[in-house]
Amino acid sequence: MLKKRTNLRRRLAWMISAGALAVLSGQAGAEYGDVVINNYSDQAGMRPAVFPHWFHRIRFRCKVCHADLGFKFQAGGNDITMLKIIDGEYCGACHNGDVAWSVENCDLCHSGKPGTKTQVHESTLQKLVAPAGK
Amino acid sequence: MHGYSKILPFVLSSVAIVAVPEIAAQTERGAEVVKISCTSCHGPGILGAPKLGVAEDWKERRAKGLDELVKRTIEGFNQMPPRGGNVNLSDADLRAAVEFILAGLDKHAETPAPAVAERPATVVEAKPAPKPTQRKQPVNNFNRLMKPASKRNPPPAADGIHDPQNAGTTILQHPKEAFSPMPKSNSGNRVDWVKALDAGDLNPRFVLDDPSKTAVTLDLNIVREVKGSMPDVVYPHKQHTEWLDCSNCHPAIFIPKKGANNISMAAILLGEKCGVCHGKVAFPVAECRKCHSKNKPKQ
Repeated sequence: MLKKRTNLRRRLAWMISAGALAVLSGQAGAEYGDVVINNYSDQAGMRPAVFPHWFHRIRFRCKVCHADLGFKFQAGGNDITMLKIIDGEYCGACHNGDVAWSVENCDLCHSGKPGTKTQVHESTLQKLVAPAGK
Repeated sequence: MHGYSKILPFVLSSVAIVAVPEIAAQTERGAEVVKISCTSCHGPGILGAPKLGVAEDWKERRAKGLDELVKRTIEGFNQMPPRGGNVNLSDADLRAAVEFILAGLDKHAETPAPAVAERPATVVEAKPAPKPTQRKQPVNNFNRLMKPASKRNPPPAADGIHDPQNAGTTILQHPKEAFSPMPKSNSGNRVDWVKALDAGDLNPRFVLDDPSKTAVTLDLNIVREVKGSMPDVVYPHKQHTEWLDCSNCHPAIFIPKKGANNISMAAILLGEKCGVCHGKVAFPVAECRKCHSKNKPKQ
C-alpha cells in the first residue's frame, strides 16, 4: 500500500513539473467537461466529435448514460462507431430522430477542429499534463 | 436668444469634454463584443454573414442606416440569432459593436486604396503605418495567468475546440445562454449544478424516455477523518444519488464498506476515486471546502 502511494506521488510530481506551464498557456476556452472523441474520426477524414457534457447534463442525469446506456467514465474508453449508433447503442439510444436529432446531422457532433486529440477539456489531468486542444 | 448664443459655445465644449472619453470607452466595448460574439460568424462569413472589414458585403446593409442594423442585431436577422446568440449583451453593447464594425470598414476602405494604386513601392513604405493601431497586450496585467471573466463560457465557434468553419458549429447552443438562469460558482462551468437542481432551474430526466420518473435518493452522510489540520470530509450520498446510480460507484470505484477505501488527494488528482468525476465534470478539486467541510474539534 505504501509503495502504491509513493508511486502515485511520484507520478503526480512528474506530471505537475512536466505540465506546469501547460495550464498557463491554455488558450482554448471550451467548457469544463467538454469531451473530444477522436478514436476514428481523423483517420476517416471526419472532424472529431465534440460531446458537450454541460448540454447533456441539463437534460439528463449522469446515470442515464453512465449506468443505463453503459458509457464508461473515460474519454475515448468507449468503442463508439457509427454502426453502433445507427443500431441504437451509445449516442444512438437518443440520437435517433425521436429523442434527439438523428445521425444524418453529421456536423452537429463532428464539429471539432481536425486533429484535436481525445480529451476531457479543462480536466485537472489535462491541466497538469498537456496544453488544451494541442 | 443672444443670451443663448453666449452660453452655447461653452455648453458645447463641456459636452465635448464629457463625450470624448465616453466614445473611447464605447469603442473599446464594441471591440470586445465583436471579438467575443461576432467574429465567429462574421470573421469567416459563415451562413452568408457579411465579413468583417469587407466593405462590399456591408454596402447595402449600411444604406439601411445604423438604427436598422442595430435593430436587426437585437432581433436577429436571416441566420443570425437575436443578440448574436449572446443573451447577456445589452442593447448598448450591440450598438457599440455595430458601430465598431462599421468604423472598421472605413479604416479598411482607407488602407487598401494605395494597394490598388500604381506605385507598389510606396505601398511597402506605407505598410508599417497601421502597426501602432494594434494595441499591444500589456505584459504586467493583473491575474496574468488566469482566464478573465470575459473569456469564460465562450460560444462554441470561439471556444478553441469546435471548428468555426463547420456549419453545424453555429447551430449549437451557447453555454452562456444555457447557464444564465443557474446559480453561479467559482470554478468548472462557473455554474453550481447541485444548487441549480435543488432550485429547479433544470429538470434533467432520470430515465431516458420517461420525464415523470424521479430520482431515488439515499440520505446518508459518510464522514471520513483525514490527516493533519484539514477538516474532515463529509460525503453526502443524497446529492450523488440525485444524479447517479449506485452501480456507477459501487463496487468498481468504491468498495461499499466503511474503511475499505484508501483515498488520497494524489489519487484524486490523477483521476482515480472521487477524481473519476471531480476534476473532469463534477466540481473540480480546487473547491476544497465543499468536501472538507467538517472542522476538527478545537483542542
